[in-house]
Amino acid sequence: MINTTYVLKCAINGKAVAIPVPASKRMSDILRDDLLLTGTKVSCEIGRCGACMVLLDGKPVNSCLLMAYQAAGREVTTIEGISAGEDLHPVQQAMLEEGGLQCGYCTAGMVVTLTALWEINPAPTRAEAEQALCGNICRCTGYEGIFRAVERCGLSIKREG
Amino acid sequence: MLLNRETYAKKWIIRPDGEEKVTGKLRYLTDLTAPGMLYGKVLRSRYPHAWILSIDTTKARQLPGVRAVVTAKDVPGMNLFGIAFPHQPVLCHDRVRYIGDALAAVAADTEELAEYALSLIEVVYEPLPVVDDPETALDEGVMKLHPEGNLLHRTSLQQGEMSFAGCAHIVEETYHTPRQMHTYMETEGGLFIPEADGRLTVYSPTQHGYKDRMQLARILAMAEEQIRVISSPIGGSFGGKDELNVQPFGALLALQTGSPIKMHNSRKESVIAGIKRHPMRIRMKTGVDEAGHMVAHQVRILADTGAYATLGCEVLNFATEHAIGPYTIPNIDVEGTSVYTNNGVSGEFRGFGGNQVIFAVESQIERLAEKLGMDAWELRKLNLRAPGDPGPMGQKIVQTEGASQVWSKMMESALWAKRAKLQPGSGQSPPSESQDPWTRRGIGAAMVMHGAGLGLGIPDHSGGRLELTPEGKIQASFGFEEFGQGLYAALTLMLQDVFGCATDDIVIVIGDTDRVPSSGSSTASRATTMMWRALQRLRPPFVHTLLQLASEWAGIAAAELATGAGGIHRIGDEAGTPVVTYAQLAEAAEAAAKPILAHTEFDYPTTPEGLVGAHYLYSYAAVAVEVEVNMLTGRVKVIQTDHVIAAGPVINPMGFLGQIEGGSGMALGFTLTEDAVMKESAYLRHNLDTYLVPTFKDSPHIIRVEAIEELPVGDTFGPRGVGEIGSVGLAPAITAAVRQATGIWVSRLPLSPEDIVQSIDWLERVEAID
Ligand code: FES
Ligand code: FES
Repeated sequence: MINTTYVLKCAINGKAVAIPVPASKRMSDILRDDLLLTGTKVSCEIGRCGACMVLLDGKPVNSCLLMAYQAAGREVTTIEGISAGEDLHPVQQAMLEEGGLQCGYCTAGMVVTLTALWEINPAPTRAEAEQALCGNICRCTGYEGIFRAVERCGLSIKREG
Repeated sequence: MLLNRETYAKKWIIRPDGEEKVTGKLRYLTDLTAPGMLYGKVLRSRYPHAWILSIDTTKARQLPGVRAVVTAKDVPGMNLFGIAFPHQPVLCHDRVRYIGDALAAVAADTEELAEYALSLIEVVYEPLPVVDDPETALDEGVMKLHPEGNLLHRTSLQQGEMSFAGCAHIVEETYHTPRQMHTYMETEGGLFIPEADGRLTVYSPTQHGYKDRMQLARILAMAEEQIRVISSPIGGSFGGKDELNVQPFGALLALQTGSPIKMHNSRKESVIAGIKRHPMRIRMKTGVDEAGHMVAHQVRILADTGAYATLGCEVLNFATEHAIGPYTIPNIDVEGTSVYTNNGVSGEFRGFGGNQVIFAVESQIERLAEKLGMDAWELRKLNLRAPGDPGPMGQKIVQTEGASQVWSKMMESALWAKRAKLQPGSGQSPPSESQDPWTRRGIGAAMVMHGAGLGLGIPDHSGGRLELTPEGKIQASFGFEEFGQGLYAALTLMLQDVFGCATDDIVIVIGDTDRVPSSGSSTASRATTMMWRALQRLRPPFVHTLLQLASEWAGIAAAELATGAGGIHRIGDEAGTPVVTYAQLAEAAEAAAKPILAHTEFDYPTTPEGLVGAHYLYSYAAVAVEVEVNMLTGRVKVIQTDHVIAAGPVINPMGFLGQIEGGSGMALGFTLTEDAVMKESAYLRHNLDTYLVPTFKDSPHIIRVEAIEELPVGDTFGPRGVGEIGSVGLAPAITAAVRQATGIWVSRLPLSPEDIVQSIDWLERVEAID
């Protein structure tokens, strides 16, 4: 096995970390295996499902495609870092109230993407919302509950027609 | 009633397991770790069909960091598994029959090492000819995949005399349905811990912990009690995790190494080794008389069950039973055949064989209606089963008005009003608001009758337990599993209903064989019904004991007391403070050494007569859709979907709605994009980049779900499950809508845009663009 002396220095959920890992280790594995932040899920490992979504400097990225060195010096926010303190983020609350989740395996990634949308574009059109969310696959809900949550958390999406 | 948060406000509750999910705190079984754990990996076959001449694991064993390599020789007990009958090798030693067959498993310090060790295992194969075509698998001279031959199962269902002589119109058509993949987001895996006392703890997603325990005990040659299976929470299953998957390997490696073993399949491995929906080829010949009465219906079903049986027989039985839909036809002749091939293993999947045949029979109705020049919905009504009619197998069934209720209710929807304006079956596009000139819209509908429970002759046992914990909580224990369907929420609502208690008076225990009674599998839309029935039986003895004790404590007659929030209340003072709290009762019970508990065991209700698999309870659904077809690309987009479901009282509205919406989403994929294509028995699609499940962009803009809750007076069967029914009727509704929009009949799923483009007349297309 190849040893590495690379130390990833970045901020994860607001905390500075220094982790010795291979420079090309995937962020999703670092989060789950090294940091035990298992809220980030892995399902496809090729950037298609969105289960592993995290925020990198506030923008949603698939952590299965993000290599350690690419995160150096940057700010990573995982689902564990979404709700400030005890309170749920409005997006999380809306997901709960509208049945935006079932098995919950896509939910963390979904919430991360939705949070980014919520912050970047609080009044998206339906097309924009679809665009933002279509990198997240949910196999359980048929997306309806998630759409209801999107509307409920204040994003003004018109669903008709 | 239309299902939404307003109409069902009182029962629209936040699911108890929701918060942990939206915050990412919930640990799925594949998220677990243990100190000193090793990683397990499985060596799968290189060929879909081959003799195994030798397996040499020497080099893999010598690799530093590799802690164990197991092959068939290391299986202490029975080297076979299977829900229905043990038939599939845990580890193959003489022959491989499909690309997912396992030959060896490795435990190593890291995942990479385990993976590398697999590549050091030397297997000498002698490839065999591949049987990849279910059509020819039964031909003379084709190599037998199993000693009994390539036929897994045959079914037949006959009534009346098969003759098309008196028919005014006959439609004969062959329908093809795809090998659909469950695509649960959490792939298979878990953690396997050999305990200090010699027991084995298995943390692994499954739909039936007790069945897994039984099978693992057989494989490991251990007593069942020595194994504890913890089976919830699960990141989706849809039938796909009912059969054992990685559990035998994890367990074997844990016992061999004495260390915890972690396994988690990659998506590719999940595709290769996981079961799929049976691809079916269904030939139907259906005849009607002048007036449209269905006279004769001949059906030939051919199912590709792949290399091993799993629930292939049961799925075929279900398909056979449902091949006439919710109609009565005097003369029927259904024959089903399920054959082994070297293709991927087909097994249980939401809808259980109903999806395939309902697509066919509903498509037949559409074609017949057009021949008759009649509206297809009217044709359905003309042939619809009426209350009092026996079930599809001539069996006695629990009667409801479900069929006609969903039929009529559909006509009240707005989507229907739009449809009513169209000419029946003319391929005429309805006027539409903001339509591009190259798109056409169409509306179609379909009906479903769907059996619940496992059916006659298949053990369908259940049970449950209630107890008052020392902390004064009402604890309900069931052997069911939570894989997203909302069982915690459903049970919470039922318990609140039954005891009038508060949410925090309740503790729910599921999915742990050490702590719950056996309730049977969480499958076949049975869990909600079973829990409801269990509570009906548990309530009287449990409440009686509680009230007796409360009466002694408070000196008030038991008849004046009732259970409520926080404890026992005087009747009429439910809102006040309890006379005695549950905690006080628990204390009293403990002091008297009389634990308060009730236990029940029973079977799912089955028909007293009929053939194996025949159901007793049915639910009904109607679904209508509006589609938009892009005439240039052949792409079909579903704009709007209306579901009407008759399945008895709605227990958990958010869950009910979610099941129909989710099932419908899955059916959308089945109809439009999903096919685990195989070539020469090898998968051509290994991940979500080529196997396309619906995304946000693909899902309809509007989905309405209407629940018909009334059951006939005196119906003691209560709520029927809805886990499956929402996934069944969408496909034929979509293809009927496509017919209306474009004039094209679709008989192969997923429907291919190429076919649509090629079927459209070029000149007509030019006109459409103009
Ligand atoms: S696991 Fe990263 S996108 Fe699927
Ligand atoms: S809730 Fe199960 S995948 Fe989305």
